[in-house]
Amino acid sequence: MPKLVEGDGRTHIESKLMRESLQDRKVLKGTDSDRDVHIFPDVTLISIGGQSIFDRGKSAILPLVDELAEVKKHHKLVIGVGGGTRVRHTMAVAMDLGLPTGGIAQLVGAMEELNAILLNALLAPHGSMPMQREHFWDLPLYFDAGITPIAISVPPFHFWEPPPIEGAVPMHGSDFGLFQLAEVLGFRQAIFIKDEDGLYDKDPKKHPDAKMFGNITLDELLAKPPTENILDEELYRTWADAKNLRRIQIINGLKPGTLTRALAGEDVGTIITKPEARRG
Amino acid sequence: MADKLPERRTIASSLSESSLTGSTTTLDYRPFAVMPDVRIVKIGGQSIMDRGRAAVFPILEEIIEARKRGIQVVVLVGGGTRARHIYTIASELEMPTGIIATLGKYIPMQNARMLQMILARHGGVFMLPDDFEKLPLYLSLGCIPVMSGMPPFGYWEKREGNSRIPPHRTDAGVFLSCEFLGCKRAIFIKDEDGLYTDDPKKDPKATHIPRCTAKELIAMNLNDVVVERMVVEYLPRARWCKELQIFNGLKPGNVLAALEGKDVGTIISA
Repeated sequence: MPKLVEGDGRTHIESKLMRESLQDRKVLKGTDSDRDVHIFPDVTLISIGGQSIFDRGKSAILPLVDELAEVKKHHKLVIGVGGGTRVRHTMAVAMDLGLPTGGIAQLVGAMEELNAILLNALLAPHGSMPMQREHFWDLPLYFDAGITPIAISVPPFHFWEPPPIEGAVPMHGSDFGLFQLAEVLGFRQAIFIKDEDGLYDKDPKKHPDAKMFGNITLDELLAKPPTENILDEELYRTWADAKNLRRIQIINGLKPGTLTRALAGEDVGTIITKPEARRG
Repeated sequence: MADKLPERRTIASSLSESSLTGSTTTLDYRPFAVMPDVRIVKIGGQSIMDRGRAAVFPILEEIIEARKRGIQVVVLVGGGTRARHIYTIASELEMPTGIIATLGKYIPMQNARMLQMILARHGGVFMLPDDFEKLPLYLSLGCIPVMSGMPPFGYWEKREGNSRIPPHRTDAGVFLSCEFLGCKRAIFIKDEDGLYTDDPKKDPKATHIPRCTAKELIAMNLNDVVVERMVVEYLPRARWCKELQIFNGLKPGNVLAALEGKDVGTIISA
């Protein structure tokens, strides 16, 4: 039976962290262990690029929707989407107006949601639903009913976006937001659908000699980071400190069949692994 | 299909070709401060709230007095021992940091609601993190807005170092609120006179540090600090919030003096 502890003017509940400063490194270390509980270990996160897929319109979106309608019969998926060129336009106007970083962060998520609504309108006949912000605990219900949820991809940092390491553009965008969802909920893997065959050492749209990475570990990638990156840098930084997610695959969504192959475990695109992350 | 790819339809803008990773932009960015005259003040959870009436009432009286003198005060509040209790149990259960951060939202929220009830007849209004947009109204009516200091990151809170405890807690919330609103100084009411060389509650030889910079503080590499480490890390790269003020709210007069802009306690600057 926990008891109340008094005597120093404050009333404490007895616990290991009672009276402790939560800035004390020794105290903090005592809260850690090698693993986290993995809540949904059989779920795959699918992220669909904004610029790379949605901004290309019908001829890029519809074949992918057909493929999703098929693979969702066999896999537990949570889908998230990027915002694409409208996010960049929002930021360009907001920065020209001089809005603070937190103000910009508050605005941008609306553009991703437009793509989420479009995707859901197309996928709903096959069983999909937009998932509200923190409704993760509904996931078992969704999967039992054959429904694929479409998650909100931009994290809720909003006005409270921390000052960026460089510049004024918020650091926590949809790539980070979706990664974090997969990490915290202990998903099996994350697949990022883009318009290139994988991750390259530089932007293949500008450099014909760009080389694609095949299978690579996160440590190898961080040792020689690409000059232009297809995913937000904050995703890699966060993943380096994270414990759960072991595998991120980057594939080309303009080539039909690629997503199906990736979900079947085939080596398509670039597979980044983090072997030291332990699974329960 | 594969031989003729559909084109990206791009809206032309200064960032349309940017990958948005890193600062590749050459934009002319001239930011403005949203509400620079607001004073955001944090009432500590363990240090003040858990002491109950004896500590809380005199502090609120000084806040009410500051408001009467025309100072625009926004009160944020911490969690305290109930947060420590749930963090202990959740850590034992090996919960990910994002879940612990979500649990951590509830206790400062309770504390904020308690303060709102006490302050109600003096204009106390309860506010959610996204309610900054209503702040001009509340303040022009002479209200004292009260909110939880916990950032709304929740499940999206990152792990940091060898710890399960969310690195952004209610100190970070105070700092980030100041940074968004464009306030120069974040004010923290605790039960110690500010920064010490170690926890003064445990080490009687710990000495007080009245003023220092974030860089000096990081270089001291203290095992324990009075304010969350993330805040000290952010301070040098903040655009607006360049100072943290930490002082003892149990000493009468300190709260009012701090709200009037006087240097009491410790000032940590960028």
